[in-house]
Amino acid sequence: MIEIRNVSKRFKKGWYALKNVDLSIAKGDFLFLTGQTGSGKTTLLRLIYMDIFPDEGEVAVAGFLSSTIKEEEIPFLRRRIGIIFQDFKLLKDKTIYENVAFSLEVTGQSGRKMREKVMKALTLVGLSHKRNDFPYTLSGGEQQKTAIARALVREPFILLADEPTGNIDPEGSEDIIKILQEVNTAGTAVLMATHGVELARKMGGKFMHLEQGQIVKT
Amino acid sequence: MFSLREALIGLRRNGVMTFIAIGIMFFSLFLLGAFLWGTFNLFGIIRLAREKVEINAFLRENLPEKQIEELSEKLISMVGVESIEYVSKEEALSKFQEEIKDAPSLIEAVKSNPLPASFSIKLKDGYTSPEEVKEVSEKIKIFDEFITVEYGESWINRLDRVVKILFLFDILLGIVIGFASVFVISNTVRLTVLARKRTIEVMKLVGATEKTIHAPFILAGSIEGGAAGVMSGGLLYLIYQVTSKFFVEFYFPHNFIIIGTIIFGITLGMIGSKLAVKSTSKEMKFETPDF
Repeated sequence: MIEIRNVSKRFKKGWYALKNVDLSIAKGDFLFLTGQTGSGKTTLLRLIYMDIFPDEGEVAVAGFLSSTIKEEEIPFLRRRIGIIFQDFKLLKDKTIYENVAFSLEVTGQSGRKMREKVMKALTLVGLSHKRNDFPYTLSGGEQQKTAIARALVREPFILLADEPTGNIDPEGSEDIIKILQEVNTAGTAVLMATHGVELARKMGGKFMHLEQGQIVKT
Repeated sequence: MFSLREALIGLRRNGVMTFIAIGIMFFSLFLLGAFLWGTFNLFGIIRLAREKVEINAFLRENLPEKQIEELSEKLISMVGVESIEYVSKEEALSKFQEEIKDAPSLIEAVKSNPLPASFSIKLKDGYTSPEEVKEVSEKIKIFDEFITVEYGESWINRLDRVVKILFLFDILLGIVIGFASVFVISNTVRLTVLARKRTIEVMKLVGATEKTIHAPFILAGSIEGGAAGVMSGGLLYLIYQVTSKFFVEFYFPHNFIIIGTIIFGITLGMIGSKLAVKSTSKEMKFETPDF
């Protein structure tokens, strides 16, 4: 589903954020991407959702190639990927329900079927009772769950999580990881970037360690 | 449908920003509308003044009636002449007596009629500049029947100078106000778009196409511009009503000023937001705290 072949990305002349990285993620995988701040985790994720493009090598995601994809095709790639961030990226002026529904509405969905999908996603993360609340009334963990529901409501084949527990207390973090594991069990691949190597070990998943833009352990 | 709802929700829930934006746009459009209104009235006044431009050609004594008739036909067919009016000796006298009726001794003094008959010649619209008035009056002078031809040379020259200065000032002011309102309105709309940068970011994140991203912002900008236009057009109309009731009746071209400010507001709101959302969306990279 995702193939990263010998990819390098330079940000400043001669300074590599990623160097000769190979990675492949298959359907249903759960993979931790570990490494310190600045090791290139986020760069790798951005290459997958094609916010940036590699200087060398190629990224292939769900049939789209980084070398040939057109700008107007990127939205269609993004519809097949769920993405969550450390800072949640929720809309402050929308309720929890609206934040999740927004993800479907922008692609032209509406009506009962959409409402059912939204409620299903909110139930999955355990937030259906807070659907009419605004994000600022929720805890960090609950906000991240909302972001997960928003990502899942479009039934992506993979969920990219960039430091999803970075702003959440330990208890909430475990909750989030648990949900991600459930999502994975239901068939969605998960790629989670985190600097917490311990966490990855504890969870016992596959992991890949990045150091200065290069993969050192898998 | 989604776009319209999104636009309205955005406007409502970002109330303060919407309020400020509409306020600023209202003020710019009001200034622009007031300027246009003033210009219309200025042109009206200039027109009235120009209508007062006329050439007076005084006739020799005792011309036969037939000759005067022939002369009037020749005058009316001259280039630039709008209308002519024959003033007989008697009419001239009675006009004069009317003018000096407060000085009866002067009337006493005027026993016989010393005033000559004359033609008052009005000129067409494009023929009231000093050069043209002079040219027409030179041509009239050629006719032997006239003793003198007058046209208030110094007055026309002064009018012309004033009109030219006003015209220049008006155009300069128009350019300044026009540019200022375009600048202010497009920047205001830009700020409202930037205030909702996160919305654009999320839309891109969940796979909205550029068209879907632009639509709500363009609609919101148009609504803001339209609202500001309606308000400024309304206020100008109110001012017109009040001034014409209590002071003077100004000329007020309703359609042009009211509909003009509304359309201008909508157009600027639309174009401003389109440009703002386009550049914001194009330059947008996802904000991430890490590499």
